[in-house]
Amino acid sequence: MLINKRTKGDLIVLDVAEKRVDAAIAPDLKEYIAELAKQGATKVLLDLAAVEFMDSSGLGAVVAGLKSMGGRGELAVCNVHGAVADLFKLTRMDRVFTKYATVDEAMAAIG
Amino acid sequence: MKAMILAAGKGTRVRPITYTTPKPMISLVRKPVMESIIELLRAHGIKQIMINTSHLAPAIEQYFRDGEQFGVQMGYSFEGVLVDGELHGKALGSAGGMKRIQEFSGFFDETFVVLCGDAWIDLDISKVFQFHKARQSKATIVLKEVPRDEVYKYGVVQTDAEGRILQFQEKPSVEEAVSNTINTGIYMFEPEVLDHIPSGGEYDIGGQLFPRLVEADVPFYGVALPFQWVDIGSVPDFWEATRQILRGEVEGYQMPGREVRPGIWTGINVSVDWDEVQIKPPVYIGSSTAINDGATIVGPTVIGANCSVAGGAEIQECIVDDYTRISSLARLEKKVLYGDKCIAPSGEAIDILENDIGFILDDARKELVLSEAHRLIFEFARETGALEK
Repeated sequence: MLINKRTKGDLIVLDVAEKRVDAAIAPDLKEYIAELAKQGATKVLLDLAAVEFMDSSGLGAVVAGLKSMGGRGELAVCNVHGAVADLFKLTRMDRVFTKYATVDEAMAAIG
Repeated sequence: MKAMILAAGKGTRVRPITYTTPKPMISLVRKPVMESIIELLRAHGIKQIMINTSHLAPAIEQYFRDGEQFGVQMGYSFEGVLVDGELHGKALGSAGGMKRIQEFSGFFDETFVVLCGDAWIDLDISKVFQFHKARQSKATIVLKEVPRDEVYKYGVVQTDAEGRILQFQEKPSVEEAVSNTINTGIYMFEPEVLDHIPSGGEYDIGGQLFPRLVEADVPFYGVALPFQWVDIGSVPDFWEATRQILRGEVEGYQMPGREVRPGIWTGINVSVDWDEVQIKPPVYIGSSTAINDGATIVGPTVIGANCSVAGGAEIQECIVDDYTRISSLARLEKKVLYGDKCIAPSGEAIDILENDIGFILDDARKELVLSEAHRLIFEFARETGALEK
């Protein structure tokens, strides 16, 4: 799984550099966020600009990631587009995740 | 008068719907477009109708069979071959398809009308016939005036005061168009026109036959009559046509079923407690469908037959195919659900199987099997209140 991590203050930006987030990389993604949470991360932003396809296991990994942050933290998403945005909407996950249009917008709000 | 319906096209602009359903069989609020065309032909006394089929031919042939149950006689000219148990289409083009039938039996032995199977119309065919005969025309095109800024989508036609065809322009720019009168793809011919089509190959009416008729100085006319023309040539067209019908904007379109509440039509054997659901008209609900307590449906929406809509589901401005299960978590806004596809009006689609979202949308006959990820998403939606929102 290709993930580029950068830190801006206490915000961790994860740039998911994969076209497809499916069963093949879902466990890694879930694990990656869980590890960050364990290390005490409280604000994580998933940049999905590169992601064109996500299936239910990919979405499940993102949900598991948010849950692993517990009550203390926040996992937001940005650059959600096309079929991935549709998936979030169809499953109502767009109502539970904080969504930003761009990384800049997210940083202005939670960075 | 006889008729021919052109039904051999692949319907590429209506994909993914036309991967499984040939365009003439696409339903506009429950009725295949071609069935409405057959009814119109019969109403004008046309009883012998030939259809050329190719792509997904059996879907058409098995639905209409010999036409007796529709009060007409129907025959098919299949353009393709069967190889290893699989049909392969080999369409001959609109004119090539007519020629094949003529060479087979000489079927066209009187005036005949030719039309596409992909638009709902209420054209007064008898009036076209009167015009055609009065002018002693050999080929007559039914014309329609469209707003000037839409001419680029069509074949533009210029006629003289008598209706004689002077000029054709295929999809001209708005600036170049010689008129705002367009070719609707509905034609009336005398059999001798078929002599101008070469044997045994692909040949097109608009692009090849018509220029040849002009060259040969055949009496060739166009007639513009007011009529409704509801095209389903693309996914956005199909989407808009369905909405127009539900909103009552297509005059004379017969809604199926029974109007059980103002603007709400249903088939029979529908399981619903009207006090426990939120339904905003116009909505059609098919036979043997269950709408469970707490579901929300906002029109214009068509729900097919044998569907199951769970409590909590939100369906807004959708067209839902038969046998669709919609879960309590689903929120569908402006979607066409067709087979395994969840299609946006633009034509973009999500594949239910590939995305593994059967827990949101699926065939109602399938057993509901939840994976770990499905359970997690469901649970999370419940915990966060998204299910109730």
